[in-house]
Amino acid sequence: MRLRGLLWLNAICSVFPVALFASAAVEGHVDLPKSHSAPVQAKRYEIVTKGGVLSTQPPLAVVYLDGAFPPSSSSPAKQVAQKDLTFVPLLLPVRVGTKVEFPNLDDTYHNIFSYSPAKRFDLGRYRPDERPIPTQVFDKPGLVILRCDIHEHMRGLILVLNTPYFVMTDTSGHFRLDGVPAGHYTLKAWIDSRTTREKSVELKSGETLHVDFQ
Amino acid sequence: MSSAAKARDKEAASFRTRLFTAMMIVIATLTALGFYLAQRKVTADAERNLQQIFQTELSSLHQLEELRHAALADRCNVLAAKPRIHAAIEDNAIDLLYPSAKDELRDLMEGEELPPEQRAQWLPAKFYRFLDSTGAVIKPLNPYDVGELDATTEAQLALNKLPDTQQIGYIQENTQSGGETIDEVIAVPIFSTDTGDVISALVIGFKPLELEDKHSGMKSGIWVNGQLHLRALPGSTEASLNDKLAGELVNSDHGENYFRVEVGGAPQLLFYKRLNPASLFPPAYEVCVYPLSHSLAQLHRLRWQIGGAGALLLLGGFVASHLVALRLSVPVKKLALDSKEDRAQRKRAEAALASTTEELERSTRYSADASHQLKSPVTVFRIGLESLLAREDFKPEVYEQISALLHQTHRLTGVIDDLLLLSRMDAGHLQIASTPVDLSKVVDEWLDDLGALPDSPDVKIEKQFPSGLFVAGEKRYTSLIVQNLLENARKYNRPGGRIRVSGHGNSHNVMLTIGNTGRTIPRGENIFERFHHSSTPSAASGHGIGLNLARELARLHGGDLRLVRSENDWTEFEVRFPAVNGVNAVA
Repeated sequence: MRLRGLLWLNAICSVFPVALFASAAVEGHVDLPKSHSAPVQAKRYEIVTKGGVLSTQPPLAVVYLDGAFPPSSSSPAKQVAQKDLTFVPLLLPVRVGTKVEFPNLDDTYHNIFSYSPAKRFDLGRYRPDERPIPTQVFDKPGLVILRCDIHEHMRGLILVLNTPYFVMTDTSGHFRLDGVPAGHYTLKAWIDSRTTREKSVELKSGETLHVDFQ
Repeated sequence: MSSAAKARDKEAASFRTRLFTAMMIVIATLTALGFYLAQRKVTADAERNLQQIFQTELSSLHQLEELRHAALADRCNVLAAKPRIHAAIEDNAIDLLYPSAKDELRDLMEGEELPPEQRAQWLPAKFYRFLDSTGAVIKPLNPYDVGELDATTEAQLALNKLPDTQQIGYIQENTQSGGETIDEVIAVPIFSTDTGDVISALVIGFKPLELEDKHSGMKSGIWVNGQLHLRALPGSTEASLNDKLAGELVNSDHGENYFRVEVGGAPQLLFYKRLNPASLFPPAYEVCVYPLSHSLAQLHRLRWQIGGAGALLLLGGFVASHLVALRLSVPVKKLALDSKEDRAQRKRAEAALASTTEELERSTRYSADASHQLKSPVTVFRIGLESLLAREDFKPEVYEQISALLHQTHRLTGVIDDLLLLSRMDAGHLQIASTPVDLSKVVDEWLDDLGALPDSPDVKIEKQFPSGLFVAGEKRYTSLIVQNLLENARKYNRPGGRIRVSGHGNSHNVMLTIGNTGRTIPRGENIFERFHHSSTPSAASGHGIGLNLARELARLHGGDLRLVRSENDWTEFEVRFPAVNGVNAVA
């Protein structure tokens, strides 16, 4: 998965400069809700709504270090592509101020919009070959639910965070966050649109803290 | 005209009157019955008819509603599928809900995209509102786009919970002009395309569909929230109908029914039917008031027709009864007349019978009295003559005369005896003491006497009479019969003539035949009649009793006397006597 690789590369790039000044790391495990659906065969990810709660399926979590970090003026642009009538990635954590591109990789029109309080926007209808690629800058923290006005089943999530230190767990819930600054922080784990767990952490330079979210 | 005829006419007239009265009663009863039945039928027909009209109109209304509901359901499904609506509801962007729906529901409010024939049914919506997850109304930011409503009206749109199915309701809208109007609202659930849950509901308000006024004078309205809304009626009538309807709806658990009401003094039929059974909205009823003027007019017409028919029937009946009475009264009259005449005749006959009986009795009594009264002087007379005859100092011609007078007294006595006997027979007092009588001996005795009579003419007597012929009878009367016949044979004989006496007998009868020469009896002359006198004058004439007496006596004995022949100088009588059983052996 070239895109996935790209994603990871992006994450590392964004974290890397900070890691130069700090050497602390956090790793651990987030207890993810049990997936009720059958084992995913096609490894297809989707956003599901249950009782008004949105989560990824299979479950994923975003672990981030909350704090008052100065806003970055030069966060690299991210992408949420539309491919096979789904959003890729389904869940994208970004730092406030990040510009996200929405390339259409399908053969049909898409009309990505969001009514979420964190970001209301409407990209309008656009074709796969639309240039420039429609973009949005997410300048307010919060969860943004992406929808397509043409394909009503499409859901995507962008988690806009105040912090540059965040990482997504794997499907089993393991995470590792490197290059975080030492100090007293709150470590949070976003599990779904309604559930965010948090823990106070004391990060020490050169050490790797183990945190489990139950 | 006689008084009897007048009475008869009177009788016939009263008969006619009675007949006519009976006919009138029958016809009046039939007319009344016919009218009653017709009235019932007309009323029932009218009710059934109106009920059918009501049901038909209502069902056509329901068809329209169904169309509307189906269209609305489609609309809401489409709406629910809209990501923007979902986004607005689910992503807590309520402020964007109405703007997002606005485009989708624009045609609903304007109804312009529909073809004209559908637009008539699909009336443009007056307003719409969304309900949130609790069933409360989500207030629009800009009510102008979705139909403005005051707070009270808008509050009526809320439901206790979100509905699973379409709900029909009727609300009372306070219009801006200060009046009231009824709106039909339809709440359509909006399902989440993700979970299938009801996430909201769209409540759309319409002007209610109105029943087509196919029936002249029909007024329709809606009853909701204890209030009747029937604009076509004046306020006071509406209020009174409202009370009646409220009472009816409380008492009846039927969804529909009808009853009779008075509107403005005219009878009307009020139908009602629940418009929204099992709805989360308050119950509402379609109310239709149909004037019964049509059926009343029909009834009126029918009343005239039946009344006219009754009158015609009565008239016909009058004529018919008149004719019938006339025809019937003729035999009745005749009958009356006949019976009267019969009565009179009977009375006359009875009177005649009575007088005849009386006369008969009187004559019988008289003849008996006369006989007795006559016999005594005759006896005195005869005794006097006999004493004179016994004297010897008279001239010989005197003796001859005395002797002739004496003979006449004997005759007189015989006549008197005969009359006495006849009167006794007529009175039914004479009875035969039947004993065996030797007829041969009686005949012999009388033949002897005949020869001994002083004035015997010169007749030859032939006797062919067997001795010992016995008859059943009484000797005096048997002898009298024989005497009468022999005397007649002698009396009506001619000089030098003859008398023949013959007889024979069998076990039943004894026949005695006495014939004589001399003048014959003319044919057709009833010689057996009492006091009969021969039509031909003759020297020898009797007193006209003898033959009559002889026949009566013979019949009294059980026999008879008849004239056998009277021709060629020969007259012959035959007497039949009953024989004495076992005595007359000679055949």
